[in-house]
Amino acid sequence: MKVALVGNQNSGKTTLFNCLTGMNAKIGNWPGVTIEKKVGIIKGTNYEITDIPGIYSLSPYSIEEKISKNYIFEENPDVIINIVDATCLERSLYLTTQLLETNSRIIIVLNMADKLEEKGLIIDEKKLSQILGVKVFKVSALKETGIDRIIEELKKLNYIKREKKVPDYLEETYDINKYEEIANKKYEYIENIVKTCVKKKIREVSISDKIDKILLNKWLAFPAFIIIMFLIYYLSVGVIGKFTVDVIGNYINDLKVSTYGIMTNMNMAEWFKSLVIDGIISGVGAVLGFVPQLIILFLCITLLETSGYMSRVALLLDKVFRKIGLSGKSLIPFIVGSGCSVPGIMGTRIIENEDERNMTTILTPFIPCSAKLPIIALFAGYFFPERSGLVAASLYFLAIVIIIFSAIIMKKYVFKNTTSTYVAELPEYKLPSIKYVVKEVFDKIISFIKRAGTIILLCSIIIWFLLSFSVKLEYGVKIEESILAAIGKKISWIFYPIIGVNSWEATVSAIQGLVAKEQVISSMAVISGLTEETSEIFIKGGIFEFFNPISAYAFMIFNLFSAPCFGAIGAMKKELGNNKKLLKAVSFQTGIAWFLATFIYQIGNRIEKGLFNVIDIIFIFGCIIIISLIIKTLAKQNNTRNTLCSYCKMCGKQY
Amino acid sequence: MRKFGDICKLSDLKVGQKAKILSLNIEKDSLKKHLLDMGLTTKTIVKIKKIAPMGDPIDIELRGYELVLRKCDLNQIEVEVIK
Repeated sequence: MKVALVGNQNSGKTTLFNCLTGMNAKIGNWPGVTIEKKVGIIKGTNYEITDIPGIYSLSPYSIEEKISKNYIFEENPDVIINIVDATCLERSLYLTTQLLETNSRIIIVLNMADKLEEKGLIIDEKKLSQILGVKVFKVSALKETGIDRIIEELKKLNYIKREKKVPDYLEETYDINKYEEIANKKYEYIENIVKTCVKKKIREVSISDKIDKILLNKWLAFPAFIIIMFLIYYLSVGVIGKFTVDVIGNYINDLKVSTYGIMTNMNMAEWFKSLVIDGIISGVGAVLGFVPQLIILFLCITLLETSGYMSRVALLLDKVFRKIGLSGKSLIPFIVGSGCSVPGIMGTRIIENEDERNMTTILTPFIPCSAKLPIIALFAGYFFPERSGLVAASLYFLAIVIIIFSAIIMKKYVFKNTTSTYVAELPEYKLPSIKYVVKEVFDKIISFIKRAGTIILLCSIIIWFLLSFSVKLEYGVKIEESILAAIGKKISWIFYPIIGVNSWEATVSAIQGLVAKEQVISSMAVISGLTEETSEIFIKGGIFEFFNPISAYAFMIFNLFSAPCFGAIGAMKKELGNNKKLLKAVSFQTGIAWFLATFIYQIGNRIEKGLFNVIDIIFIFGCIIIISLIIKTLAKQNNTRNTLCSYCKMCGKQY
Repeated sequence: MRKFGDICKLSDLKVGQKAKILSLNIEKDSLKKHLLDMGLTTKTIVKIKKIAPMGDPIDIELRGYELVLRKCDLNQIEVEVIK
């Protein structure tokens, strides 16, 4: 039997889905968290249940809502669990009245029953059930009460396939005035139902309103937002600071020494010892050292996502964002993207306007994701030991500056004619369930560790191989004569303006960021491990000795803002719709990163040395002219847009 | 400030004021449909709940929930002030 969870946005579908299946799918407190359908099996049964994006009606407005409509009519689920936010019955029942007209088998679940008392509402669900002619259950997905009754009811149902009916007013060409009449009538009918089934008591000012008095206050709103964002990155990097750097330096070296001892006792071959110690332990160990920082980061992001604050920030920033061609809703992908760009980019689907959506897709990877955190934590922790938190926060604010700057450029040259709207429900603040938060942080950490054990491990082995063999495949050559060195030396000039030296080691490491951003650190550790000159930490002494605070900062900038990893590039391709747009977007990102990193290094270096002369000024102007020329040529080709929206099977119109 | 009984646009109201929707004069059918689906039908009572610190967008309360809309869209909704 196929069961579908259908309901308004932010009504708790995914929370209920998690209850019914025992899974831990992503939840959040903003409308539109779920942007793709998810399938699971209901505990103790063989029923397949699908969680679909929230909809307010069967006439979809944004992309993810279209997925839901298509699911209901094309996949034809046997039972629809219509989840209704009990605290907002009127609006929720509108969808119910539409669903009842589709000849579906429906069970109504009144969610958030635990909130009714707080809201001063008493609902007579028996009466509601009589009027609507379907079963009605009160549950709290958050407190996990009433869930068993849903499963029992599903078991009782006899299911004969029913043919779905599509009401005529759902056709896209249906007359808008007639549609208005129908909507008016439906809501009148619902108002009458609510009058008979719901008793309302007068309640005091809600807690949400009290919190908003501060967080949305005319004067305090912006400072509060800046402090909150600053704290997240300050805490993630600053609290642990140099500690991880020391851990990598000491414990991993100890581990290498003891492993070497064990392997020597077992008479293992030299090359195998080198592979395990210099390749695998160096490469994977360097990345795993950053788990503590990531725990703090994931905790902060999860709390932010589940609290309801993100919808406030979207409201706060909408006016500014609109001026630069984005929507207030762009903020949500940005914040989700600080965990991982992939769900961030997919989350752009909640933005209705195509131009705003595409711009947000291109800009989301600029926000440093959790995989970039090891790069920041390592360089900031080592080169700025006293101020690592500040340096980390500075990079995030730089990301915001780049986003604004890039958005202005794109709006001016690429996405010109934008008329957009902003329609979003403002949810109340919620205390997240501790169980969910712990599970979510745990899951994300586990997946980071898994990545270290798979992709990073594999890359470390490949890098070790490329470093240990010469072009003629002789083993045991100096790394200067290795295959990787040969490749790196051909392109190391690209990074010369950023780090001030021709370092093939840094070059090949930065390029590996395409696989996964933390691979940059891993690769540097492997290369350094093979030079035998290592001291306590791989960026001190040896081949990476040339790094100073300025070149370290510039190198970080390149790695943070250049093309994201392949995973994120794939997500961008899916959202942008074609390769041409994707190629432009990725070149744009990499170009900006390269110029900014060069700029910072060249200026910083000259200021430090006290040298600032005519050549520098010419250089700066040269940069500006080149950048504007590149942008103009990119823009010229992009004026014609004829992409088919990849999600909209229904209308087939060209945008 | 608009007083009881005035006919005006929803965007003209101050925080705390209530009004009854008279008509939606929204040009784009897709947006109009969406707003109707969200419960902004004629005779619905709405209250201005919050205004963003920069003056736009505006958070309105209707049918027991809060909805954020931009001023330019609220400007196309005709209402009668009731408080």
